[in-house]
Amino acid sequence: MTKRLGDIVRKISRPLYSNSRLVNYYWQRTKRNKLAIFGLAFIIFLVLLAVVGPFFTLDPTLVNFEEKNLPPVGFAIEQSIYNIETDEFTTTKVSGNWKHPLGTDSKGRDMLAMLISGARVSLLVGLIATGIAIILGTIIGVLSAYLGGWADNTLMRFTDVMMTFPFFLLLVLIVFIFGPSLAIIVLAIGLTGWTGAARLIRSEGLSLRTREFVTAAKAMGASDNRVVFRHLIPNVISLIIVMATLAIPGVILAEAALSFIGLGDPTVPSWGIILESGQHSLNTAWWVAVEPGIMIFLTVLAFNFLGDGLRDAFDPKSNI
Amino acid sequence: MIMDNTILKVSHLKTYFFTRRGVVKAVDDVNFELIRGECLCLVGESGCGKTVTALSILGLIDSPPGRIVDGQISYNGLDLAKCSPKQLRQIRGNDIAIVFQEAQSALNPVLTIGDQIVEQIKLHLPMEHSEARERAMTLLNEMGIPSVERVMSYYPHQLSGGMKQRALIAMSLSCDPKILIADEPTTAVDVTIKAQILDIFRELKAKRQMSLLFITHDLAVVAEIGDRAVIMYGGKDVETAPVSEIIGEPKHPYTAGLIECLPDLSKTADRLASIPGTTPNPSEMPQGCAFHPRCPKVMGICSQHEPPEIVISREHRISCHLYK
Repeated sequence: MTKRLGDIVRKISRPLYSNSRLVNYYWQRTKRNKLAIFGLAFIIFLVLLAVVGPFFTLDPTLVNFEEKNLPPVGFAIEQSIYNIETDEFTTTKVSGNWKHPLGTDSKGRDMLAMLISGARVSLLVGLIATGIAIILGTIIGVLSAYLGGWADNTLMRFTDVMMTFPFFLLLVLIVFIFGPSLAIIVLAIGLTGWTGAARLIRSEGLSLRTREFVTAAKAMGASDNRVVFRHLIPNVISLIIVMATLAIPGVILAEAALSFIGLGDPTVPSWGIILESGQHSLNTAWWVAVEPGIMIFLTVLAFNFLGDGLRDAFDPKSNI
Repeated sequence: MIMDNTILKVSHLKTYFFTRRGVVKAVDDVNFELIRGECLCLVGESGCGKTVTALSILGLIDSPPGRIVDGQISYNGLDLAKCSPKQLRQIRGNDIAIVFQEAQSALNPVLTIGDQIVEQIKLHLPMEHSEARERAMTLLNEMGIPSVERVMSYYPHQLSGGMKQRALIAMSLSCDPKILIADEPTTAVDVTIKAQILDIFRELKAKRQMSLLFITHDLAVVAEIGDRAVIMYGGKDVETAPVSEIIGEPKHPYTAGLIECLPDLSKTADRLASIPGTTPNPSEMPQGCAFHPRCPKVMGICSQHEPPEIVISREHRISCHLYK
């Protein structure tokens, strides 16, 4: 089974790695878009951070009330501390130190460590959920286009029905019913987010299936399976790449939004969860909410820039 | 007349397309038989049903809207018109292969030439990858493609038109089919390439004893390569005869008209000859003989009754009221 799956993946992505000349051409085109390169650089940085970062930071779960609500380096705030013996508040000036460069939250956990382990979670959510959505969308779109007739009608009407559901409400409902675990959230986003991809791929597939090479493949005895996986999908791979890149930020945002309204997985420190925990202490410790917010903002922006750049590069009609 | 060495026999084939604007009778009663090792040409103007006939043989008519409504296609004891999709898949490529007109669009743009041929071989023959690669290179070599190793790693757009057509022929030959259908393989290439491609087909016939069903609208090509020819008009076969008789003494007025249309370099003419009128719209075929509105020898009966098939000699059949 895994061998068969690997075989399919290899065959589908074959045009990507076997044609270095063309890949180089697209790289040259993408490179002309400075924002896309910024996006790519940031994403690579983020991935590295998420993969190796946790080995160098403090334990993100380490609670230390002695050092709670420390501001980031370079900032200072006034903190009122209640003294139980004298029964009065003493106000002290607290400034950030290099032990916790990005400060600590209300439980004294290191913000830098939390953000880095949050990057891991958010990226994983983004990649896996997008993967599920794109694979589903591709299969449904290609089948719909290739089979035509009543199969096409059934699949597309199903897609329409899925699209009429308010996406976010559906997510909230699923998470509410099945409980807020990360796996459920990822699955829910993946299983609801494929509709746009399915439609796009179908429209591309409709024009592809009338091309003569499809008839030629069939005339040579290729089965439907083979036509779909060997001839149709490799022809829409550039579309899939662009769609996936543009879908990832939406997924990261959706997970953050779910966490923000309290439906995130409380056991896993994603950026959304940190943001949510920070919203209660905006008065006393603004950085707990602002820092993950900035990370989400930059990440979403980076993926969007890269996706836009790739789309322009893959589009033969665009002049860049 | 079924002879022992008939390899493919098409009888009373009718392929209709059921569209919203009515039934299009693209192929309406076509009969011919392909003899082992011969080159049979299907000749006719655009829209006369040549390609639909070929696609019907392979069961590749898009359904809906198209359907083989009647007739038999006998091959090897099977009726291809009634075979299951699985049986047809076995036959396609393995027993009967087809070369399409435009190599550019018949090759998958995102796969290398080598990949496409190797895949084709592995689909039908139990071969290892390296073995299949060897075979692909031998085939390309036989087609007269230079530096085969390099061409194997090329994508279709990196090859010239003639090269692509050769690669396509190599691909269709990859499993040693008994019958090769060529659907206007010389229409999209220029004259010098055309001669080379025709040479390849001639060689195939001579060396491999391949039975060729050659679809073309070009009588010059027919004269060059064909043994026998079936002239088609309006979805019907109007005249079937050895090529020498078709060219030398055409019986049907349509055949005669086609031959008159060939420019003769030895004569000076102000205008080239042509058959007046246009091919009929397949959804509104004229009553009686489909050719009668354009026929120079039209008679009263032509617009009322369909002409029956008349056997002139053992190898010469014709459908025309002139030869009662």
